[in-house]
Amino acid sequence: MRVLKIAGVVMLLTAAHASGQSRDTLPDWSGVWQMVGGTVFDRATASGQGGALSQGLRERPPYNAQWEAIYQRNLKLRDQSQLPDPINTCGTPAGFPRVMNLPDMYEFVVRPEQTWILTENGPNVLRIYTDGRPHPAPDDRWPTYTGDSVGKWEGDTLVFSTLSTKNSQWPTEGDTVLDRTGLVLSDAAHIVTRLRRVDEQTMEARMVIEDAKALTAPWNVTKTYRRQPAGTRVYDYGCAENNRNPVDTSTGKTLILGPEGEKFGQ
Amino acid sequence: MSSEVIAMRTNELSRVRAIRHWVVGLVVMCGLLAGTQALVAHHAGTMFSDEVKEISGTVKEFQFTNPHSWIQVMVETKPGAPPQEWSVEWGSPNQLGRRGIRPSTFKSGAKVTMRIRPMRDGSPAGGFVGAKLGDGAVVGSWE
Repeated sequence: MRVLKIAGVVMLLTAAHASGQSRDTLPDWSGVWQMVGGTVFDRATASGQGGALSQGLRERPPYNAQWEAIYQRNLKLRDQSQLPDPINTCGTPAGFPRVMNLPDMYEFVVRPEQTWILTENGPNVLRIYTDGRPHPAPDDRWPTYTGDSVGKWEGDTLVFSTLSTKNSQWPTEGDTVLDRTGLVLSDAAHIVTRLRRVDEQTMEARMVIEDAKALTAPWNVTKTYRRQPAGTRVYDYGCAENNRNPVDTSTGKTLILGPEGEKFGQ
Repeated sequence: MSSEVIAMRTNELSRVRAIRHWVVGLVVMCGLLAGTQALVAHHAGTMFSDEVKEISGTVKEFQFTNPHSWIQVMVETKPGAPPQEWSVEWGSPNQLGRRGIRPSTFKSGAKVTMRIRPMRDGSPAGGFVGAKLGDGAVVGSWE
């Protein structure tokens, strides 16, 4: 029994050491947060007025010609209301980096060995390992919506690397987007995020996105989150509870189900 | 019960009603925001027209559910004709609940006039903009 206790203490100390932070020195990211601005992923490069669904609005990731053409195709579909969103299918994760670009509430749960980003919308969970483990070897990982994230603390900033996300040329291939303009990335995407609390009211995520298949240069995107009033609750988000918005697979249009299951908007 | 007590209670009731209307009115400004932003959460609102249409009738059911809330309204068409059921889509209960909307906001059987952004294809459905209930209470955007 005593040996087990000692082993437990050693494991805890190792985890704390590997993360660069002990439980006492971890930053306080408690509370409930909401992303600032709309869900246009890269507002800094957006041209045109309005939100992600507004005709004419687009962003300027440093896409190569092939992926720029994919994005332009998606923008055209968006303008025709024929670009469905993968998350219209309840249960589909937002994926990374879109998980940093969602409406509704956020929570940032900091532990010595992991940080969890919980999003009410979805819901989604992003796990960032800070116990010193590396990414799995190429043979030991496979693409997932949210990918694999490992990180370390640099003072009060959590610096983490994410890879092994899914290849997507949605809607013809793959099943993720970064926002509703139709931004997509390949499975070669590698994102380094610097996450910190700037002040009492503001969290900031600075992302540097590299993608050897889709981008010609690193793509820098910053998202910020505002603290919500004390006592704000986060609720259950059961997308399948009463989803009356199926997608017409032949046209890509999002429909409405009437009270008798009639399909409106075809 | 004395007439004095009844008068006090009546005054109190009026005050409560006034406060209730004020609160609901406040909620409604938020409602406009909820009406435009909340729909973004799960799907695009591009199937709805930009124009605002007014419908009047009786609340059949308020589905305070994810990913979107729905207000089923039996809309009077012509005198003597059976009412037509309209489906009015609103935000998620999570978003609406934080803005003060409750499952009791639209009670079954309540008379209502509703402003909606109707579907472009003419189907009996639309996106919620605002509502005025039979007792004068306003929910969402009305001005």
